[in-house]
Amino acid sequence: MKSLSIKNTAVSALYFIASMAILTGLWTLISIITKNEIPGPLSTWTIFKELASEPFYDRGPNDKGIGNQLFSSLSRVFSGFGLGSIIAIPMGLLMGSSKIGMRLLNPIVQILRPVSPLAWFPLGLLAFKAAEGATVFIIAITSLWPTLINTAFGVASIPQDHKNVGKAFGFSKWKYVVKIMLPYSIPHIITGLRLSIGVAWMVIVAGEMLSGGVGIGFFVWDSWNGLSLERILVAILIIGTVGLLLDKCFNALQTVFSWESK
Amino acid sequence: MKNIDKPIQFADSANDFHKLTRNTSILINDVTVSFKGKKGEFTAIKDINLEIKKGEIVSLIGHSGCGKSTLMNTISGMVSPSKGEVIANENLVKGPGPDRGIVFQNYSLLPWLSVYKNIFEAVDSVLKDKTKAEKHDIVENNLSMVNLMPHKDKLPGQLSGGMKQRVAIARAFAINPSILLLDEPFGALDALTKGSMHIELLKLWNLDNRNKTIVMVTHDIEEAIFLSDRVVVMNNGPEATIREIVDINLPRPRNKKEIAHDPEYIRVHDRLLSLLFEKLSIED
Ligand SMILES: Nc1ncnc2c1ncn2[C@@H]1O[C@H](COP(=O)(O)OP(=O)(O)O)[C@@H](O)[C@H]1O
Ligand SMILES: [Mg+2]
Repeated sequence: MKSLSIKNTAVSALYFIASMAILTGLWTLISIITKNEIPGPLSTWTIFKELASEPFYDRGPNDKGIGNQLFSSLSRVFSGFGLGSIIAIPMGLLMGSSKIGMRLLNPIVQILRPVSPLAWFPLGLLAFKAAEGATVFIIAITSLWPTLINTAFGVASIPQDHKNVGKAFGFSKWKYVVKIMLPYSIPHIITGLRLSIGVAWMVIVAGEMLSGGVGIGFFVWDSWNGLSLERILVAILIIGTVGLLLDKCFNALQTVFSWESK
Repeated sequence: MKNIDKPIQFADSANDFHKLTRNTSILINDVTVSFKGKKGEFTAIKDINLEIKKGEIVSLIGHSGCGKSTLMNTISGMVSPSKGEVIANENLVKGPGPDRGIVFQNYSLLPWLSVYKNIFEAVDSVLKDKTKAEKHDIVENNLSMVNLMPHKDKLPGQLSGGMKQRVAIARAFAINPSILLLDEPFGALDALTKGSMHIELLKLWNLDNRNKTIVMVTHDIEEAIFLSDRVVVMNNGPEATIREIVDINLPRPRNKKEIAHDPEYIRVHDRLLSLLFEKLSIED
């Protein structure tokens, strides 16, 4: 049993390495075709080492290390994502548990959900009178929908069987929520959160490009102005890797909270 | 032997509380259940009258989809009759209530709660005036009764069908209802497990001085005869009615092997077979 899982891990690792090799190969090819206008992996690696050697330096507001940039982006993402989730989960529970609530709120959700973060930005500026608040606001409002929809769907799909248990044994409202509604919907809620954190991380670059200041999005914009494509490529790789890690974290959370697999 | 009457035919009066005797556990009075669907109304059961005495064990038997669960659910209060009423424990049934313990057709355990917690949450919510310690005692007693103490911390997903069944029965008994409703409780079990579950059920019933009323749905004629005082045979739906009620006049305690040779057993078995014969040939 154990040796089997070790073997599986080894196979997964091999596939990952192969996948990275394909990516590097394609990248090198593109770099050669564009006659190095798009930098290749090697020159990008050099810049990465340079950036990574001193990730937390701080030389004034517009010149900070890549680690600082990343950290401030992450904290912004988690504020926006946290705020969005605090709104989305209770609203989802409400929507899912009442047919009337679902029918009243669903059109609003459907209309607001596809709106681009860029469109929300001016409204955020108006409301918060500051770019920082506006960035957190657009992250919250664009990332809360998957959580809201998944929570509502989870609650709405509680099997009649489980509801009947509550009825037959005279569960109070509170007991029903805590012992039936929440446990049943938690896997759905976490799936929603996983999608939401993905959206939040995607939105951060656009938000920071508009707001300026410190952050990985601002770093991309600043590198473009400084005409350093290597730095942009490093940023893209870091953004991708962090996104992957965030997803893995929520994936792990999903397995922890799933009662189905136990 | 209990003295069991034929079902009473009621007058048209909407309220038949005055017809109740001290001995009545469940009174199903002129009950019709219609479901509203896309293609209009569908009447599952029609004009059902049945009186069940305290401590009686009654089986409902009939073709799949004839409305056995529907009838059971009017007693449990999960389905409200379109016409007529059900009186249980001298109260008009308006919804599910802890005076009627239910063992659902598919066990209906909460998959995220351990065996112990599944029973405890039910006990905790029904027996409100007991102390925490008393509640834990009740849960443990009932778990021991169905031999599941060693498995108390397992989740339902880790149990066999028979074990889940016993949890469901322990849960229903733990809240000490005066009426126990069982919907095809042993349908999915192998013959051996089924046999031992019959004994468990009768043991639990005896322990309570045979004061609990048990109504169960089954497809199994032998099971119905072995356990019941009366077997209610239903007609095929829609608009299903009671076809015939067969009294089982076999003395208790019954021994499965011995009663099989009893002339009374052979008589009721033949009667039930002939009542269900068409049904069996279709189902087989
Ligand atoms: N909630 C419901 N809505 C519509 N039709 C139903 C509902 N419940 C049961 N029925 C119908 O009523 C009939 C009787 O069902 P049921 O009582 O479950 O049968 P049984 O338990 O005897 O197999 C079936 O035709 C079934 O389709
Ligand atoms: Mg049924």
